[in-house]
Amino acid sequence: MRVITVSNLTKQFRFPVKNESTGFFKNLLNPDVKEVVAVDNISFSVTAGERIAFIGPNGAGKSTTIKMLTGILFPTSGEVNVLGLDPTKKRKELAYQIGTVFGQRSQLLPNLPLTDSLEFFGVMYDLTDAQIKKRTQELIELFDLSTFITQPVRKLSLGQRMRAEVAASLIHKPKIILLDEPTIGLDVVAKKSLRDLLLRLNTEEKTTIFLTSHDVGDIEFLCERTIIINHGVVMRDMKTADIAKDFIFEKYIDLFPKAQFEEFRSLPMGITYLSQTPEKITVAVNLHTLSITEALKKLLTLFEVDDVDVYDTDLETVIRHMYEKDSLRT
Amino acid sequence: MKRIRFARKIITTLLRDRTQYRGRLFVDTASLIARCGVLLVLYYYVFQLKGGEVNDTPFILVAWSMLFYFIFMTFRLRDIARSIMQDVQSGIVEILFSKPISYIAYKIWWQIGSGVYSFLVAAIVGSVALMSIVGIPDTMATVLFIPTLLSVLIGGTVLTLLIYIIVGLLAFWIEEVNPVFWIVDKAVMILGGSYLPIALFPDLMYKFALYSPFGASQFITHTVYESWQNNWYVLAGIQYVWILGLAVVMVIMFAYARKKVSVNGG
Repeated sequence: MRVITVSNLTKQFRFPVKNESTGFFKNLLNPDVKEVVAVDNISFSVTAGERIAFIGPNGAGKSTTIKMLTGILFPTSGEVNVLGLDPTKKRKELAYQIGTVFGQRSQLLPNLPLTDSLEFFGVMYDLTDAQIKKRTQELIELFDLSTFITQPVRKLSLGQRMRAEVAASLIHKPKIILLDEPTIGLDVVAKKSLRDLLLRLNTEEKTTIFLTSHDVGDIEFLCERTIIINHGVVMRDMKTADIAKDFIFEKYIDLFPKAQFEEFRSLPMGITYLSQTPEKITVAVNLHTLSITEALKKLLTLFEVDDVDVYDTDLETVIRHMYEKDSLRT
Repeated sequence: MKRIRFARKIITTLLRDRTQYRGRLFVDTASLIARCGVLLVLYYYVFQLKGGEVNDTPFILVAWSMLFYFIFMTFRLRDIARSIMQDVQSGIVEILFSKPISYIAYKIWWQIGSGVYSFLVAAIVGSVALMSIVGIPDTMATVLFIPTLLSVLIGGTVLTLLIYIIVGLLAFWIEEVNPVFWIVDKAVMILGGSYLPIALFPDLMYKFALYSPFGASQFITHTVYESWQNNWYVLAGIQYVWILGLAVVMVIMFAYARKKVSVNGG
């Protein structure tokens, strides 16, 4: 069942710009207007229970899209349908069925314990006192909040606060949770903990997860499907596992010497140095130019090695290459 | 029912939040007593020099009128403008727009919840103090006083909120709203009788205080004067006309503001 359908969605921002060559009153009353197309005619759909990563570089249109899905922003053109509702017309109705987390902005009551925020949101979402109590208990268990539930929110660590933010956004058991950079600023342990929780939430409560992130770890670990957006346009919409498979055009080779490398000879076309020390050489092989077997053969004629290690580029590099390629095209 | 329950929840949550900071409450009350007290002492000497009355008005009425102004100020309703400005500038507005609530109603209840504790404490402490120092004037002992005071207090609260919400909503269009806030705020202070009691206003200024929304939002300061007995319904009428007018302006502005949202990100 489709829970999100986006068709030819466009968002254009218009804002006044100061024209230095005209006077104060012209700038005040009739300023020049600059138009920026943040989202440009995108279409995609999401089925219930999916875990989607919506990624792209800064200014790509990720947050703008999420804000149109939740009814915060009005599209310039195109259609959005979330759980059968038009967010621009049924914002409040939709809000009862979705949860939102904006990683850089807190929705919790800073001076009061987390329990107060959970109660507060429970009443906001029209739950009865009994429902709030039951759901709070479920969230305490699911998110392991018991150790800090009575502390004022402002005294929580960033990792604890993010868990609390996500928990608060789930008080009403939303069908979809939209997360905008949920792991931003978190350390490795806190990131892993939050990813584990989101995965559990998806498995146990069948909540659809739609997240934007700059963190490739979020995408690799959590999302089965990735939509890549850049300059407001959807570049790719595919299984996360296929991204690396389809877009790897580089492999890395580490060479370890028998004693020490003393000379760093120039490399054949298609192979480039990434690092060169007497103890280890790392090279990148362009698979469009030569195969990994050919590259190995050539390298072994150039260097006397004791061991080699061949490995793929990571997802982050693949995505970076895709952004770069897209930027060159535009 | 749902809205009432949520409004009650906001107020009780904020009451709990505010009562955690007794020090701040003490400073608020002390500041009110200091500001109001200094002015009252000054006016007491001015009235003594003029034989106990200025402009046919005795000191006791002026003292209560000024106290009402200061008590109303501790409600901090004006802060709703800054709160909306901060929401817009920081992007918090987008979090609130993603919730199943009316943003404006939420901000109103939030502001009332933030100020109600200081307001009640200031009202009780200030009234008891003034009662024991200058007593209660006859005008406050009439049957009409309490109901009309409550009516004009509610009207003043709504009108003050509307004025400052409109100022706050300007943040959707203007980068720096503080100068507008400053002008409106000073107009409210002056025409409300913060510096000069309204009984001592020159004619033109008095009329401006009556017919402008800034003065009308502070009609609570008129309730202690003898003229209130005869013209309270005119003043209440002026207040409610402004409420209607500004409510329409606010609704239209908010409808446009919703479409103007272009907060950071993306």
